[in-house]
Amino acid sequence: MKKSLRLGAILATAAIATMALVSCSSGGSSSSSTSGTKSIKVVIAEYSNATKPFWTAFAKKYKATTGITMNLQIISWTDINQASSTMIQTGNLPDILNENSYASYASDGLLYDSSQVLPAATKADIIPAFVQSGTVNGKFYGMPDLSSVRAMFYNKDLFKQAGIAAPPTTWNEFVADAQKIQALGNGNVGYAQPLGPEEAQAEFAIWLFNNGGAFKQGNKWVLNSAANVKTLQFMKDLSTKYHVTQNNPGATNRTDGAFALFGQGKAGMVVGFSPLSGTLDAAKTVNYGIAPMPSGDGKAPQTYGVTDYLMSFKKPGNQEAVKAFYKLYYQPDQINTWIKAENFLPATTSGVKVFQDDPKLANLKVYLDTLPNAHLTPTDDPEWDKVKLALQQTLGLAVAPNGDPQKYLDNLQAQAVAGK
Amino acid sequence: MNQVIASGQPGKGLGASRTLAPGLPKGEAAAPGSGAAPARRKRRRNDHSAASIGVALLWLGPVLILIFGVVIYPAIALLIASFGTFSITGLYRSFAGFTNYVNLLASPDLGQVMWNTFVWVAAVVILTNLIALGLAQFLSKEFFGRRFVRWAVIIPWAAALVMTSQLFRLMFDYYHGIINQMLLGLHIIAKPIDWLGSSTFIMPTMIAVGIFVTLPFTAYLFVAGLNAIPSDVYEAARIDGATPWQTYRAITLPLLRPAILIAVVLNMIYVFNSFPLIYIMNGSNPGYGNDTMITYMYKVAFQGATHDVGMSAATGIFNVIVILIAVGIYLRFTNWRQGDQES
Repeated sequence: MKKSLRLGAILATAAIATMALVSCSSGGSSSSSTSGTKSIKVVIAEYSNATKPFWTAFAKKYKATTGITMNLQIISWTDINQASSTMIQTGNLPDILNENSYASYASDGLLYDSSQVLPAATKADIIPAFVQSGTVNGKFYGMPDLSSVRAMFYNKDLFKQAGIAAPPTTWNEFVADAQKIQALGNGNVGYAQPLGPEEAQAEFAIWLFNNGGAFKQGNKWVLNSAANVKTLQFMKDLSTKYHVTQNNPGATNRTDGAFALFGQGKAGMVVGFSPLSGTLDAAKTVNYGIAPMPSGDGKAPQTYGVTDYLMSFKKPGNQEAVKAFYKLYYQPDQINTWIKAENFLPATTSGVKVFQDDPKLANLKVYLDTLPNAHLTPTDDPEWDKVKLALQQTLGLAVAPNGDPQKYLDNLQAQAVAGK
Repeated sequence: MNQVIASGQPGKGLGASRTLAPGLPKGEAAAPGSGAAPARRKRRRNDHSAASIGVALLWLGPVLILIFGVVIYPAIALLIASFGTFSITGLYRSFAGFTNYVNLLASPDLGQVMWNTFVWVAAVVILTNLIALGLAQFLSKEFFGRRFVRWAVIIPWAAALVMTSQLFRLMFDYYHGIINQMLLGLHIIAKPIDWLGSSTFIMPTMIAVGIFVTLPFTAYLFVAGLNAIPSDVYEAARIDGATPWQTYRAITLPLLRPAILIAVVLNMIYVFNSFPLIYIMNGSNPGYGNDTMITYMYKVAFQGATHDVGMSAATGIFNVIVILIAVGIYLRFTNWRQGDQES
């Protein structure tokens, strides 16, 4: 009896001590005055080895200009979503977060909009298509950090061996060319098709934009439109009917699957973007060309653009610090330096001009010309965040031999509509 | 800080009490008729108990804080989260009651995932233990280079699981993997096998790697168990004319029972909770067709269209219950108390 009492006392004391400790530590971090914060937490996604040097230098410059310390966290793309989710769940918000989606954060009321933190001149400089994709309910929350445009990469040597004069412009030509390359044997595949969980939504997007398809029409989801179903069926046929892809595209990721095959010179074609050029140019193993996407509906080729975002979280006292962050980031010598280092494309109109005028970046011209008219995914709809995840995780099942594109897209449409 | 505890008066209390206690009656007997003795004894005991709470806290404090911070607090947080509705961003919205549990049990993927988990745990644990029994016999014998072999066996265990899994993922790759290259080169197969992408091969492949990384720990547990068996028992068996097989069945296995029991229970929990191996080797497959409860839990929270922390927390609680039941059934089945007494 006495013994258990004593044990109880020990446990209680320990529990109180622990709680006191915990409350101390959480009190300490949130006690920063509301008049103006002394430091901000900036969470950046790791694009490549060039990411860290730039942001470290940026943090120094930020401290020098504003006197505010910038606590930098660089997190890999595979982990950043989990990290940000955990931060928000535990109330440990970052001040700036770099992610590929923002609309859910905006609809949860966590973000500053541009009128609060972005100088008007800076907003005017951002490419209008990106302002639009960063806007929810008339407010601009998703500030683009950089952009990219996808295009068809083809292996010139394999094309020559297979006797193909020019890259395909229609889907029929595409299949015929891919078959010729596949027929070369020796492990060569016509088209490297990544439909595994990494970036399936991007691969689907570029093919459907080139077949007159769309994710949304006006305010409505049209995921199972005839054009979309036809596109997904075609994508499935590439492996199950025409046999012009690598083995099991539904279980192939982009970076270590499709890009790797193309980089080894084993794939005739792959959908790529400027960072792939950077890798290939450095390795010098493949003689490649870049062409517009072949068209499925006989219309002019469409391009698919992607931008990521730098969103800012409402925290007491951080508004001025966040404002200063954006002001510095969108300085031409900052944003353009980074984008060049990462082999991506500009997010600002002035940046496009700088890139176009730079003779060293002449190989980016094919992308830059199409950038302002690129199709984007509907990142401005919070529901897209879920549609995107569903596409990433399960599109591969729809293109498996027993997959059913029509049924898959019907289900997806039902989910998206029900989510609203 | 250590020094303070050691030299300070209270420091003596806890450490010394045990060794002093047996000597105490003797000392009292040596002081006959002294009326002060009981009082002194009482006071001393009081000193003792008064000191020991503080001292105990001092000693136990770090551990208790660790247990509260690392085990109990997260467990409570998990339980609370499992009853909450969360936004896709991770923001807490409201109390959800049992909605998350209902959603989990209604999930169309749950059946397949639970079956995968069962196959995964049963196959890895059973096969690992069988192989480890043989391996332990081998490792406990004297032979040239035994030290080297023992080190070699321990390496898969010492290496980080993420690293091992990534390595195996490369080795099993369809196009560039060394395993397909080797089998093709030896003309054992005519075309490459899709070890990681085909639904037929992925589970056996993962189980093979699972055994590879679970084996060292199990084998060493058995080596320790074998070393603990006294040699005179074997001697007696030999004099009685037992065949090697009889000796193994009637002596080695029964005396190894406690080690086997521990190995199976620990491995069940360890293999059930194995995350990196399945997450990495199954990394480029779509859907949940090859996931176990643990990777499913992660995907529900962060990767699937659900992106639901609450439902994932409910899955976590569900997992704890499942593994407790599984271990409970096993212990019941093997009648572990009886085994305890026998040994």
